Amino acid sequence: MLAQAPHPLSADQSMPHVRIHGLNKWFGAVHVLKDIDLTIRAGARIVVCGPSGSGKSTLIRCINGLEAFQKGKIEYEATSLGKNTRETAKARRQTGMVFQGFNLFPHLTVLANCTLALRRVLLKPAREAEEIAMRHLTAVRIPEKAKAYPAQLSGGQQQRVAIARALCLNPRVMLFDEPTSALDPEMIKEVLDVMIALARTGVTMVCVTHEMGFAREVADEIVFMDEGRIVEQASSKGFFSGTAHPRARLFLDTVLRH
Amino acid sequence: MGFNLDFALSTIPTIMEALGTTLLATVLSCLGASALGFTLEMIRRGGGAPGLAVRFLIDFIRSTPVLAWLYFLYFVMPFYGIRLGAMTVGILGLSLYYSGYLAEVFKAGIDAIPKGQQEAARALSLNRRDTVVFVIAPQMLRNVAAPLGNYLVSILKATPYLAILAVPEMLGRAFDIASETYRYAEPLTVAGILFLGLALIVAYGVKRVEQRLLAAGRR
Repeated sequence: MLAQAPHPLSADQSMPHVRIHGLNKWFGAVHVLKDIDLTIRAGARIVVCGPSGSGKSTLIRCINGLEAFQKGKIEYEATSLGKNTRETAKARRQTGMVFQGFNLFPHLTVLANCTLALRRVLLKPAREAEEIAMRHLTAVRIPEKAKAYPAQLSGGQQQRVAIARALCLNPRVMLFDEPTSALDPEMIKEVLDVMIALARTGVTMVCVTHEMGFAREVADEIVFMDEGRIVEQASSKGFFSGTAHPRARLFLDTVLRH
Repeated sequence: MGFNLDFALSTIPTIMEALGTTLLATVLSCLGASALGFTLEMIRRGGGAPGLAVRFLIDFIRSTPVLAWLYFLYFVMPFYGIRLGAMTVGILGLSLYYSGYLAEVFKAGIDAIPKGQQEAARALSLNRRDTVVFVIAPQMLRNVAAPLGNYLVSILKATPYLAILAVPEMLGRAFDIASETYRYAEPLTVAGILFLGLALIVAYGVKRVEQRLLAAGRR
């Protein structure tokens, strides 16, 4: 389903969607992001990895303004993220976010989870919102659960719904914050399969994950972070073929051994 | 002069005439206190100078007796040119007083919602109002059903305070009968039993709503 046509968002491959310049963030006295520079081109599939506490989740949460930052710049095509809340809101509209803990709304059905923002943010009429939502639920292979509540679904199913919900707003960049870390092993695959299919449509994605198999299969760029810094930034091929930074090498050895 | 059952029974219709007033005062005060309490909690959550002011206001409300509020509104406000009817003052007083408590209840109910819910709402670009209406409030209501119900029963039981403003609610009516007939035991007992019955009915209703909400949570 997803693999058939190129995603409408995949348009211009050369144009950068997001440019991050000299990004710095502190949590109180702790310097969690240090001089981050990163360009997210249209159609890029970037995997961000690194040991826990390295700042990868914080970085991805800065990209859509869930976290504030103190220094640097995040530029979206026309608008830049910063102190101005209106600009932040505009930039956020271009991103879809998938969380580690799914964060579905428990009091709403699967369908209502997906249509809420369509109706309230994009102001779509009910019928159209439901059609769009059903299209995305079909893409993540869970249309039959549209009337179910999140608590009736397995973790893997919930995460697929969360992906569909984020896709509904037609984001230019999909952000994944450790989407499989809270899942039981047998459910990881169903979520990764959906993400792989999504990647094939050409949608721009940035994914924080420890799933190196997924990274190898999908990513065209790997960003390795340690202690708040981007230590290594390489093509997927280069990263896995062993030219990596010693710190990254060590991490990779540890992760791959599992 | 023992307890006269026939006399007690004869007071029931007269006291029951005031049932409507008691119920009206209860329902309107509940609505007022809930709306005001929720608004106060939202302002407090917003922080800044208004948030700080509301924090003090809530503490102030909770540290003063409800009778003081009723007397103040009824007897002091007219000096400042604000003259309100007894029933209006009664409902206003109870609403104000209980809004302080309900703000605390709502606070606990909102604090219990996982942080990820607000983040998901923000990530979906829902504005603040929509986030409150469609994400926070429904989950909060589920969390606060039990304590909220208790306060609704409390408000029902606080309506006799309105007797001091000569609002013709049930206990006031019972007292009227008592002072006319010099028999206190019967009318006051009848009023007490009627309140007990009402409170039990409300408590039962609250329990049912709570169970349904919990069942919905498990779906």
